[in-house]
Amino acid sequence: MYYVADVDEKNCAKYNCKQCVLFCPEPNTLMYHDSKHVAWVNYSRCKGCAICVYVCSDLLKRNCIQMVMMTAGE
Amino acid sequence: MGLEYVRISPGFEKYMPKDYVDLVQYGQFGKQIDVQQLGQFKELVEEHPMCAGCFMAYFIRIFYASLPKPEDTIVIGTAGCARLALSQAAVPFIYGNYGDTNAVASGLKRALSIRFPDKEKDVVVIAGDGGLMDIGFGMTMHSWFRREKFTTIMVDNEVYGNTGGQESGMTPKGVQLKMAPKGKQFDKINAAELAKVSGCVYVAKLAPTNPKRIAKTVRRAILAARHFGPTFIHAYTSCNIEYSIPTEKVLEDARKREKQDFGFYEWMTDEVKEFFEEIEKGQEVKA
Ligand SMILES: Cc1ncc(C[n+]2csc(CCOP(=O)(O)OP(=O)(O)O)c2C)c(N)n1
Ligand code: SF4
Ligand code: SF4
Ligand code: SF4
Ligand SMILES: [Mg+2]
Repeated sequence: MYYVADVDEKNCAKYNCKQCVLFCPEPNTLMYHDSKHVAWVNYSRCKGCAICVYVCSDLLKRNCIQMVMMTAGE
Repeated sequence: MGLEYVRISPGFEKYMPKDYVDLVQYGQFGKQIDVQQLGQFKELVEEHPMCAGCFMAYFIRIFYASLPKPEDTIVIGTAGCARLALSQAAVPFIYGNYGDTNAVASGLKRALSIRFPDKEKDVVVIAGDGGLMDIGFGMTMHSWFRREKFTTIMVDNEVYGNTGGQESGMTPKGVQLKMAPKGKQFDKINAAELAKVSGCVYVAKLAPTNPKRIAKTVRRAILAARHFGPTFIHAYTSCNIEYSIPTEKVLEDARKREKQDFGFYEWMTDEVKEFFEEIEKGQEVKA
């Protein structure tokens, strides 16, 4: 089991934002959907640092990302 | 390298690893990427083994997205945490012996200018505070005295991170580290000022709080080195492990340090200033 970030797509889609994507330390991990205009996480690459949560919740007050528990292979 | 080496020969696409095909089709080669496109193209570093929340890793991610010509760039690194990511990039990487980076880069840049007189080949050193300001200090300084035309980027985590927490010349005074139990006795070295008086034509200091500004700074440092002389970026890139910063507070810490002693600083010679005024005319370059 490990922690990964998870984006609430419906909520994120309201903002046309992308800020979290620009602050993740991992390449090719926190991505942005070209047409849906939402951020999404490549779970197998996320290291669970929660910097994206700080950006979305603490800085922007948008609360669209949560850390969730995952089991390998899920 | 060069663009012709990156491209896949027709008919061979199906035999190449998917990551490589993605890199060529959806990556940065031959294009000028805007850093704000991150998350929508294939990045040059596939993945890396640096710690969760490492802001040195973050800076390196933005660095690669900022390269003016990745296909014609060579990166030089050394022992220390940064090379863990630098060595994973689809950009040629040379591992200089610890302390030797700027001597290796000097020779390489000169050789490239002789071998490819009509091409622009960018050389960039990325190394730690220990690698550049302590053990490699002599090499760093002499590359500047000799006006070698490449960029030096110091990823300053204010500690020897890779070897478990020894103090460096860049550790702030008073800071206690695992292997500096009495606290650092001396002031942090003023690296930017040293660069300025030692021959660099472009010097910048920053905390990684604004990706657009990092990108602009990296591009300027590389372009100024291409045409004029040595350039230097001093980047604060915290080590959350040795400084016990909870990972979710790493950006908050960078923003705090930006307000304290890492406010954005940029200096360049008049000649370089004129050059940027000319080439950035009409471009949207505000960060
Ligand atoms: C010639 C030499 N001396 C010492 C070492 C051991 N060594 C490896 S990494 C390192 C310190 C790294 O500190 P820094 O350059 O600040 O990089 P960081 O890991 O903090 O990013 C040292 C002393 C070495 N590899 N080679
Ligand atoms: S910061 Fe929040 S609102 Fe903005 S793109 Fe990321 S998840 Fe969406
Ligand atoms: S938790 Fe960290 S590694 Fe995972 S997506 Fe968020 S910023 Fe990236
Ligand atoms: S030890 Fe520190 S600098 Fe090195 S990868 Fe980990 S967090 Fe980054
Ligand atoms: Mg260091």
